[in-house]
Amino acid sequence: MSDNETIQGSAENVEADINCEIPEKGTYRIYIMGKAYDVPVGLTIMKAIEFAGYQFIRSCGCRAGFCGACSTVYRKEDEQKLHFALACQTLVEEGMYLVQIPFVPATKAKYDIYDLKPEENTILSLYPEIAKCVSCNTCTKACPQDIKVMMYIQNSLRGNIAKAAELSFDCIQCGMCAMRCPADIKHYHVGQLARRLYGKYLDDESQDLKKRMQEMRDGVWDEEIDKLVDMDEDAIVELYKERKIEARGDLDKDCKEGN
Amino acid sequence: MDLLYYPGCTLKTSAKSLERTAFKVMESLGHRLVEMDEWNCCGVVASLTEDDLMHHLAPLRNLIHAQDQGYQKIVALCDMCCNTLKQTNLRVAQNEDDLDTLNSFMDKESDYRKSVSVQHVLEFLRDDVSFKVLKKKVKKPLKGLKLMPYYGCTMLRPRQVAIDDPEEPTILSDLSRALGAETVDNPYKIECCGSYHTIKNKEIVRKRAATITGYATQRGADAIILSCPLCQYNIDTRGKEAEGSIEGHIQIPVFYYPQLMAIAMGMDPSDCAFEKNAVDPARVLKERGIIK
Amino acid sequence: MNIINGYPEYMMCSIELVEEKREANLNADIQPLTLAEREKVLNENHPDFMEGTRREVTVGVDKGKMMYGGIVDLLEARPIISSKDIDLSKVDFDVDILIIGGGGAGTVAALFAHENGIPAENMLIATKLRHGDSNSMMSQGGIQAADRPRDNPAQHYLDIYGGGHFSNKKDVIRALAMDGPEIINWHKDIGVMYDRTEDGNFQELSGGGTSRNRMHSCKDYTGMEIMRNIRDRSRNLDIPVLEFCPAVELILDDSGAVSGAVLFNMETHDVHTVRAKATIIATGGSGRLHLSNYPTTNHYGATGDGLVMAYHTGANLLDLDTIQIHPTGDAFPEAIVGILTTEKVRGLGAKPLNKDGDPFVFPLEPRDVESACFIRECKAGRGLITPTGMNGVWLDSPMIDIIHGKGTIEKKLAGEVRKFKRFGIDMTKHPILVYPTLHYQNGGVEINPDCETAIPGLFAAGEVTGGVHGKNRLMGNSVLDYNVFGRRAGIFTAKYVKNRTIGKLTLDHLDKYNRMLDDLNIKSGRKAPMLLPEYREKEALARALDLPMS
Repeated sequence: MSDNETIQGSAENVEADINCEIPEKGTYRIYIMGKAYDVPVGLTIMKAIEFAGYQFIRSCGCRAGFCGACSTVYRKEDEQKLHFALACQTLVEEGMYLVQIPFVPATKAKYDIYDLKPEENTILSLYPEIAKCVSCNTCTKACPQDIKVMMYIQNSLRGNIAKAAELSFDCIQCGMCAMRCPADIKHYHVGQLARRLYGKYLDDESQDLKKRMQEMRDGVWDEEIDKLVDMDEDAIVELYKERKIEARGDLDKDCKEGN
Repeated sequence: MDLLYYPGCTLKTSAKSLERTAFKVMESLGHRLVEMDEWNCCGVVASLTEDDLMHHLAPLRNLIHAQDQGYQKIVALCDMCCNTLKQTNLRVAQNEDDLDTLNSFMDKESDYRKSVSVQHVLEFLRDDVSFKVLKKKVKKPLKGLKLMPYYGCTMLRPRQVAIDDPEEPTILSDLSRALGAETVDNPYKIECCGSYHTIKNKEIVRKRAATITGYATQRGADAIILSCPLCQYNIDTRGKEAEGSIEGHIQIPVFYYPQLMAIAMGMDPSDCAFEKNAVDPARVLKERGIIK
Repeated sequence: MNIINGYPEYMMCSIELVEEKREANLNADIQPLTLAEREKVLNENHPDFMEGTRREVTVGVDKGKMMYGGIVDLLEARPIISSKDIDLSKVDFDVDILIIGGGGAGTVAALFAHENGIPAENMLIATKLRHGDSNSMMSQGGIQAADRPRDNPAQHYLDIYGGGHFSNKKDVIRALAMDGPEIINWHKDIGVMYDRTEDGNFQELSGGGTSRNRMHSCKDYTGMEIMRNIRDRSRNLDIPVLEFCPAVELILDDSGAVSGAVLFNMETHDVHTVRAKATIIATGGSGRLHLSNYPTTNHYGATGDGLVMAYHTGANLLDLDTIQIHPTGDAFPEAIVGILTTEKVRGLGAKPLNKDGDPFVFPLEPRDVESACFIRECKAGRGLITPTGMNGVWLDSPMIDIIHGKGTIEKKLAGEVRKFKRFGIDMTKHPILVYPTLHYQNGGVEINPDCETAIPGLFAAGEVTGGVHGKNRLMGNSVLDYNVFGRRAGIFTAKYVKNRTIGKLTLDHLDKYNRMLDDLNIKSGRKAPMLLPEYREKEALARALDLPMS
C-alpha cells in the first residue's frame, strides 16, 4: 500500500505522492462559455471546469447528483440539439460547448400545509399556471433525473395527488424544467406541494408510532433509560455485549417478549 | 366490447361522479370503458387557433398513445375534450405538413399515422348501440318526465366535428324518448351557457342559466338533460345561485344523460351521484313516481 | 482497455467469480466481531489509530488534545479578519437569532424558533452556498427512531452508547434517543413521505451496529426528502435566508457572550455585520478537508468553518481525534470516487466480497469497524485496484433482488441505480466497487442537551457538534441528530433571547487569538475558516486520481 499515511492532509492543497501529470489517455477540447480549453479525458464537467482554472462559487453543491446546483446546458460541436445535464455526474466529451445555470428565478406559492385539504383542485388553485401546459414535453427532456415531468404536472392538473407525488419523487429541484417551459410553469415547486399533500394527508397512519407517542407522553420509558444513564461503565459494557440483534434473527429465536 | 376511454381533466376532478355513472351504464350495456394507459390534458378547445400549431401537441399526443396501445378509436365523455381531439385529428388528416412538423417535434414519441378516430359516447350510443336497442333495455321508462335537451356549443360546432346537425340537433331528444320521457324544445338549446366566463364573470353565466332555464320551464319542462360538464356546472350551480338575484327564476334540475339512462335502466339512484347536483334531481323523479 | 458492462475486462473477470459463488454466498453466515476483535482490527487499520494522522493542538482552549492534522492546521491558521477590518458600529442586521448554516440543523432550528414565538423577521439564516446545500441533502439511507413495539428508546440509547465506544455524553444521547419518535411524528405531520409496509407502519431496516431495525427511509433519498420538506416550510414562513454569505467570524460583546457574526458576501466581497441575541452554529461537517487524504462523500462547503469560528471564541471541541470513514464510498468509476453508496444496500442484503468473490466480514458492523475490515482486506492484497490506482472491494448488489424480489433495487435504491447507470453500470446485474471514504465528523463543538456551548450566546446543532456520537456515529443517527438538536436549539434559543441584552460589540478575541499564534511562532500562511476547498487546475486532477489511505 502507498505511504500516504505519512502525508498530512492539508486544508489547501494535496501534497500527495502521486503523478499529477496528464494521463496518457489524452485530452478533449471543450468550450466553457465559448472559451476553448483542453482538459484530461475522464473528468466530469465539474472537474474539467475546475481544471481549466475556475473556482465555483455558484453551480456547485453536493458534487454527487443530489442538489441540482450544477445544472449545465451543452451542445456538441456541429450539433444543433441542446443537452441538459448535471456537471458533477457527466463526463466531458470532445467538442462540448457548455454553460451553467446558476440560479432559477422561480415563483413559489406560499401556503401552510396545515390549512390545505388534499382535494382535486388544491394544486391547481395554488399553481393555476399548470392549466397552461401544452403537453410539449420539453420539461421531461430537460430533466437530468429521467423524471416524467410532464406527467406529474398532468397528474397535478387532474388532481391525482398520489401519482404526482410518486412520479416527482426523485426531483432534485435543479430548475431546468422551469427554465425551458413555454408556459413558465415551475414544475419542481408543484411536485413539492403534491408530495407534501400526499405525505401529510394521503399516506398511511402508523399505528405503532401512535402508540409509542402516547407512551412517550406518559413517560413509560423514562425509568428504563435513566437506569442506563446511571449504570456503571462495566455493567453497561456487558449489557451492550449481550444485546440481541434483530437483524440476525436473535429476537425470533427466543420467542420471548421484550428485548 | 372494450372501448378505449379518454377521460380528460374534468372527468377526474369536478365531474368524477359523471364518470362513475357512465361506467356503470356502459357496463350494463355490455361495454367496458377502459381508461388509456397514459394521457394528458387535451389542451381545451379555446387554444386551437388557426396559426398555432403548438397547441395541437396535447391532443395529438393522446392520439399517439391510443395508437401505441393498439386501438383504432378513442371515446370521450367530455364534450370539450372530444371536440379538441376531433379537431386536431382533422387538422393533421388535412395537412400533411402540419402532421410532419408535429411528429418531428415529438421526436421521442411514435409518429402518428392518422389511424385513430374519436367518438363521443353519445355517438356510440346512437350509431353503434342504437337507440332502438337501448329502448329495449329500459326497465323503468321515464314516464311523465318532461325533459328539455340542452346541447351547448362544443358538441355541435364547428360543423366539421359536430356529432349532430348544428342547427337542429335531435340526438338528446331521441335519447330522451328512447328512455320513455317526453321532450320540450327550446330556442336556447344550442346557445352558449357562458363557458369559462364562469370564472371571472359569474353574472353573465347566471343570466344565461336563467334564460335557458326560463324558456324550458315556460314550455313545461321538469328538468334539463345535457352532456357537457361545464354546461352542467354553469346551468345547475350558477343557475341555483341566480335564484336570489334574478327575479322569478327558479332553477330546475340539470341531469347528465347517463344519470337518466341509469334510472331508466333500473339502476339504483345511489349510482347516479345525485348529491353532486346543486338542484336536487331526485325530487322531480319522485314526484313523477319514477323513483321512490 | 476493453470495457464490458461499464467495467474493464480484468474487473469483469473478478465479477465472474462473484457470480459463480453468489448462491453459496447468499447462505454464508459470517459472525460479527467480538468487542476485542473490533478493537484489534481498528487499531491495526483505521486511520484513527495510524501514525501521523493526528497531532496535538498547540493553541487555544483545547491545547494538548489530539486532533486530526487537517483540523489542527485550521486551528493554527490566522483568522481571515482582525478587529481593525470591521466597523462594529455599523450593524447591518439586528436579529434575535442568527443561524449560521442553511442545512438540516439550521433549518429545523429556525422552524422551531418560529413555532416557539420568534417572528420570521427576527431571525436570519446565513449560509455559504444555497439554502439546502448541505450534507443533510445528501444523506441517503435513513433516520433512526425507536417507534416499534419490539424496540424502545432505552435500547436505542444502548446502541448509540456502544457504537460511540462508550464515550458519548450521556445526557445528550438520552435526548437523542428519547426525541426520536417525536421527530418522525413531526416529519409525517409536515408531509415527509417515508417508506411504508403493507400494514401502514414505517418500513424500518437494520443499520450497522444497531440491535433493532429502526432505520426509517424515503427510498434512498431520505436526506433529500426531509430537507426539501423543511426548506419548503421555511420558505412558506418567509424565514429570511442570506445565501452565499458565509460567516467568517463570530462577534462577542464585552461580557464575553457571542452576539452575532461577520458575514462575507462571496460574490460581491461585501462584509455584513449581524448582531444577534443568540447565535446557532449549524455549519455541518468537514469532509472537504480530505483528512488523511481520503476522498469524501461531503458537499462542497463542508470545510469545518464552524469549528474554527467557535474555537476562536474559546468554545471547546470534542472527539476530533476520530473521523468517520464510511465503508462504502464508490471506488469506480473515477468520476464518482468517494461518493456515498448508502449502507441501505447492505441493509437490504448485499454482501461485501473480495476480489475472489469471497465474503470476509459481517456486512453490518458499525462503520468504523466495517471500514477497518475493508482496509485490512485490501492491505492483504485481496481487494481490486482500479485503472486509476484506487482500492476497492465488491458489494454484491444483485443479491438484493434475489432476496426481496425483482425490482426491489430499482424501487428502493432509485438514486443509486441512477448514479451508476449514468456511467454505464447496471447495479441490478453486477456488483459495485467500494472503499472507505471520509464521511462524517463524529465530534465538534461540545453541547449540552439544550445545545448550549461553553460560551454564552453560542449554540450549536448538527454535524458541527461534539458529544452526541462519541468516537463513532451509527447510521441513521446523524439525520436524527440534526432534527433533534436543531429542534432543541430552536426551542431553547427562543426562550433564551427573551432575557438577553447585548453589550458593546467586540472582535478583540481575534486579536487575542492572533497573539496566541504569535507567541507560538506559528508562521503558517494559512487562513481559516477555509470557506471553499481548492480544486483548481492540478488539484482537480489530484483529487480525481486520489489514492486513499491504507
